[in-house]
Amino acid sequence: MVKSERMEVERVEPTPGSAWLIGLAAWFVPGIGHLLLHKWGRAALMGGAVWVCFFVGLALGGHLFYVSMEGATSFLQWSVVIQVPPMVADLGAGILYIGCWLFDVGFREDPAQAARATYEYGTTFLLIAGLLNYLTMLDAFDIAVGRKS
Amino acid sequence: MKHFLAMALFAALAAVVFGAISKDTPRERLIYGVKVFAEFMAIGLVLSWILRFIP
Repeated sequence: MVKSERMEVERVEPTPGSAWLIGLAAWFVPGIGHLLLHKWGRAALMGGAVWVCFFVGLALGGHLFYVSMEGATSFLQWSVVIQVPPMVADLGAGILYIGCWLFDVGFREDPAQAARATYEYGTTFLLIAGLLNYLTMLDAFDIAVGRKS
Repeated sequence: MKHFLAMALFAALAAVVFGAISKDTPRERLIYGVKVFAEFMAIGLVLSWILRFIP
C-alpha cells in the first residue's frame, strides 16, 4: 500500500452511534428513521408504502413465514433451511411482523386461507413489505451517516 | 381485474420506494419512479401473455 492510500484509509471516520440507532429504529418501525432525521416527505412515502404493502398483504390473506422445526431433527435439514429466506424477508417489516407473531395473525397454516385466490398475492405483498423496509432502513442509515442528503 | 389491480398496486408501492431512494433531485426521483412503475407493469403484462400460452 502506498503512503497516500494509507493516509486515506486512516482518514475514514467511524460511523456515529446515532446512525446505528436510527437504522435500528427504521427497521423496527417503518418510516420512523426518516422521521427522526426530519425527512418528512420520505418518511411518509417510504414508510407509508411499507405499511400499506403489509396491510394489503394481510387483507389479501397472505401468510407470514417463520422457521418451524416440525418434522425435522436438525437446523441444517433442507426443510428448515428453505424457510429462512422468506422469514428474513418478512422480518424486515419490524414491529408489524412482531405484532402479528404476538397476536398470531397471518402465521397459521389454514387450508381455507391458502385456498383463497389472493393468497399468493398476499404472501408476496408481505414479503415485499419487509424487503422494502430493509431498503428504507439502509436509506435512513446512509442519511444519518452523511453519505446521502 | 383484481389481479391487474394487485399488480398495479404492487408496482406502485415498489416504485415509490425505489424512486425515493435513488437519484439526487425530486424531479429525477419522480421520473425514475414512473419509469420503474412502467417497467413493472410492462414486464408483468408480457409475462402474463407468455404464460397464457403455456398449458
